[in-house]
Amino acid sequence: MATHATPRADRDEVFLELTRSICPVCKVVIDAEVNIKDGRVVMHKRCAEHGAFDALISSDADLYMSQLRYNKPGTLPLEFQTEVRDGCPLDCGLCPDHKQHACLGIIEVNSSCNLDCPICFADSGHGPDNFSLTREQVAVMLDAFIAAEGDPEVVQFSGGEPSIHPNIVEFLQMAVDRGVRNVMLNTNGIRLARDRGFADELARLGVLIYLQFDGFDEATHVAIRGRDLRADKERALQNCADAGLVVTLVAAVEKRVNEHEVGAIVRHGVTHPAVRSVVFQPVTHAGRHVSFDPLERLTNPDIMKLLATQVPEWLRVSDFTPVPCCFPTCRSMCYAFVDEGALVPFARLIDLDDYLDYATNRVIPDLEVRHALEAMFSASATPGAEAALLACESCGLDLPDALSDFASHVFMIMVQDFQDAYTLNVRQLMKCCVEQITPDGRLIPFCAYNTVGYREQVRASLTGRPVDTVVPNAQPLAAMLTPTRHGSRTVASSPDARPNAGPTGRRLAP
Amino acid sequence: MTRLAAEEVKACCAASYGGEIATYLLGESFHPGGERLTRGLMAHLALRHDAVLVDVASGRGTSAMLAATETGCRVVGIDLSGDNVAHASAAARAGGLDRRVRFVCADAERLPLDDGEADAILCECALCLFPDKPRAVAELARVLRPGGCLALSDVVTEPARLSVAFGGLAGWASCVADARPVDQVRALLTDAGFEVTHTDRHDDAIAQLIDRVEARLRLARSVASTVPQIAAMAPRGLELVAAARAALADGALGYATIVARLPA
Repeated sequence: MATHATPRADRDEVFLELTRSICPVCKVVIDAEVNIKDGRVVMHKRCAEHGAFDALISSDADLYMSQLRYNKPGTLPLEFQTEVRDGCPLDCGLCPDHKQHACLGIIEVNSSCNLDCPICFADSGHGPDNFSLTREQVAVMLDAFIAAEGDPEVVQFSGGEPSIHPNIVEFLQMAVDRGVRNVMLNTNGIRLARDRGFADELARLGVLIYLQFDGFDEATHVAIRGRDLRADKERALQNCADAGLVVTLVAAVEKRVNEHEVGAIVRHGVTHPAVRSVVFQPVTHAGRHVSFDPLERLTNPDIMKLLATQVPEWLRVSDFTPVPCCFPTCRSMCYAFVDEGALVPFARLIDLDDYLDYATNRVIPDLEVRHALEAMFSASATPGAEAALLACESCGLDLPDALSDFASHVFMIMVQDFQDAYTLNVRQLMKCCVEQITPDGRLIPFCAYNTVGYREQVRASLTGRPVDTVVPNAQPLAAMLTPTRHGSRTVASSPDARPNAGPTGRRLAP
Repeated sequence: MTRLAAEEVKACCAASYGGEIATYLLGESFHPGGERLTRGLMAHLALRHDAVLVDVASGRGTSAMLAATETGCRVVGIDLSGDNVAHASAAARAGGLDRRVRFVCADAERLPLDDGEADAILCECALCLFPDKPRAVAELARVLRPGGCLALSDVVTEPARLSVAFGGLAGWASCVADARPVDQVRALLTDAGFEVTHTDRHDDAIAQLIDRVEARLRLARSVASTVPQIAAMAPRGLELVAAARAALADGALGYATIVARLPA
């Protein structure tokens, strides 16, 4: 027996998985590994042409691992739009390998905008080369979505800035007429603030308002939107309240910009008569954005912890529940009822994991409660989604008589992290349930659309002008980046990608 | 404590914990830590399919049915509340478990079981409710076979540091007024012939239970028209919640699991 064993070092990381991603520069599909290191979840990948890339997936590995159990089996759509040919993420979509139907379909009606925000994943603005969809195109898109979903839950009209499209009200009406259950308008609110009649028209159609709302500091507005829009936001909210519109506040949150304002946004939402929910999104590093460090970006646990710190009397991290319909690390939600002006989270009323933990073999889960909770904790959840639970007699919260009164006192907070070209992981992507609807009738998962090159393709085909491949404005890439005409970044030399060396598709030589 | 007072306490506890109010405030699984702690205790019991488990203070039968489903063992659930026994029996029938799981309405201080009949005993969040603790623990020792294992979870306190807010029967039924320091529980077990093998603290579990009671009281208050009897007790309940949270932060209140064996 050896008496002087050579000392061996352990790796400083826990290997979680080998998956597939893309090179953020040339967009070639490459292998990627995901590891836990220093309590954080980090992706590491290597492109033969452009070298190694490391990116933060989650800043809290414990939370990430606990979220994985909330993974609901997917539901098949009525039809797929493409075939499997090259494999994920090149066959979007949806291809028959996709694991989930579409909870929410997005139609970008234009690429023009009345703002030129420094941060815009859609690379929109006052450019000369913008597209604007026709009613025929929108009809094709809505019909494709209905063919896939039968009875679609949510269609969100976006842009660009959809409210400046001359036919936007007609488009919303088309969706309502086709029986889409919830029709939503994603807007910066400028037209809502300045055109009271527009708010009334939307109210007549029952449209839900998804209002960009990043904070209260002038500096926040300037950093994210390029202009101080505070007066417009307040007027837009007031017009929504007066018209009876239901509003979701949507905050893009960036490091060192508006992290300190998430609590104030919740408080404002809870007290404002028009607001029923708030969505926080760590800034998506797709399209146009300010320079960032992929290893120090904000992730969902950061937002939840900021909320717990800034609103400690109402919220804790444990009040947030992973959303099971998509991949469960992508979104977390907190439902709360408002009691004497204070939030009381649903997660404290019942053990949600008794119903939404799909990995543990449970004793007699009550299916009625589970189905009600699934409708609430979903990417398609809109204000009022809690009605199913409150109407459910077997959950111990048997409150049917109070329903109408109570529903107006429920508040929802969602935290959702979108993937960028650094963090893209086909494991999450294959279960994505938020889809961009394209004018040729495809449903492309949101995070594939913004990272793999689909957005550039669609934009080029709609404008008839070539669109540069958009590359993240990441600090490690700074030396090779040049601006595109839309303000995003690209690499100077056209990436004529040579095949990446990798084992897929090969076999051992005899 | 006089005999009359002790009987009054038992009736109060059975009524409180057997009633709709307890189900409303606490959910189907009455004890802190819920299924997670129950699974932890079950792991210590190492139940085989031919074992007989006795669940003392079995409530609505959640843990008994979990044990029967996961290990295939037989279970006798004992509870002082007739409502609980009826509810748990119905749930076992509905789950197709009634050939292996039965529930009996009985007093933990006079278990209707033979000496050494149990291979294992589970007792969750209940010892603090038993007025005559040495007698209840002696009963556990009597019905457990030599070498058998007892897994217990309970509220633990430092009585000297508890606020006066917990006095009286309401406090008792909140599991706090007669909860003991963990060392006293260990001594009770040792005096009855048990060897204590594990003691663990789970104060986070009681924090979660306090959160739940508070949230449900506030829900009742905000929709008073539908649950008037709970809305009426909300102000007093919320005072107790605040006192419990303060006691927890102060270390005067906590939750513990204890595993003990009888010598073979």
